[in-house]
Amino acid sequence: MSARTTHLDKGVGTAMSALSAAAKKGLGDPVLAELVMIRASQLNACAFCLDMHVDIAVRNGETAKRIALLNAWAEAGEVFSERERAALTLTEAVTVLTDGFVPDEAYEVAAKHFDEAELAHLIGVITVINSWNRLMVSRRIEPGGYAP
Amino acid sequence: MTTNDSTAAHTTPAHTTPAQAQAKEYVHEHAPRLDWHQHAPEVFKAMIRLDAAARKGVDPVILELVKIRASQLNHCALCIDMHSKDALAAGESVERIIQLSAWEESQHFYTAKEVAALELAEAITVLTDGFVPDEVYEKAAALFEEQELTQLIAAITVINAWNRFGVSTRQVPGHYKAGDHK
Repeated sequence: MSARTTHLDKGVGTAMSALSAAAKKGLGDPVLAELVMIRASQLNACAFCLDMHVDIAVRNGETAKRIALLNAWAEAGEVFSERERAALTLTEAVTVLTDGFVPDEAYEVAAKHFDEAELAHLIGVITVINSWNRLMVSRRIEPGGYAP
Repeated sequence: MTTNDSTAAHTTPAHTTPAQAQAKEYVHEHAPRLDWHQHAPEVFKAMIRLDAAARKGVDPVILELVKIRASQLNHCALCIDMHSKDALAAGESVERIIQLSAWEESQHFYTAKEVAALELAEAITVLTDGFVPDEVYEKAAALFEEQELTQLIAAITVINAWNRFGVSTRQVPGHYKAGDHK
């Protein structure tokens, strides 16, 4: 298997990186950001993004157990905090838009755990990883190419 | 349903006259959940710059078609309002916009390039049902130069991003005027 194309306009790449940085900085929770980015990448089946964000999460001190259980977080009990669970609920709703609107319950649970600025940036992080997922999956960028 | 509804009541709420509004009572307009532009201004600015970078080199007619189609799939009311108005203002036909939601059966309304772009837009928008199929990618790759194709992919990605902000924060459609965001 090889990439369909590795081409990406420099301006687009730079703008994407700036968007990522702005969203993550505003959220101010790198551990949570990686959980969100791994979960969205699982849903979107982005091999490159999974490889990259699992690597970053591990280097940030995330455990193998939590990374493995992300794929079944709703059934994983207290492995994830209420705040993390709220963020993961919102991540799934914002990632799978084509099945319907982001439900009020999903939004309201998130709004309980995050203030408005945090919530706007959390939505930003979810949107950014969804964007990277699209850029990588459609060009079929292979996993393993990420270097810290 | 009453029989004395004015035929003009088929216009959108934003365009109704006071007399029409009296004749037909519309559902109350909802409020947005969150003013994300105000709470994440750096993110909004970065989105504007990304949008500008991604649209470079993409045919403006194709750009609006894929933006409308992705917004339909993602149910982004604000984005549908915005991009159908921008498309109409740029000279797009009403019937090509209406047929977008059934383009597979109305391909003769579109050029081969437009159809390939729409197919690619759907595949990239609905990632959770499976990978972007080889046939879809190859059809687009046969009709678009590599640079043009990767910009099209970026443009499809960016409207998907706007859709996510619009839907999750429940932005309100109906108030956009063509060209406001150009």
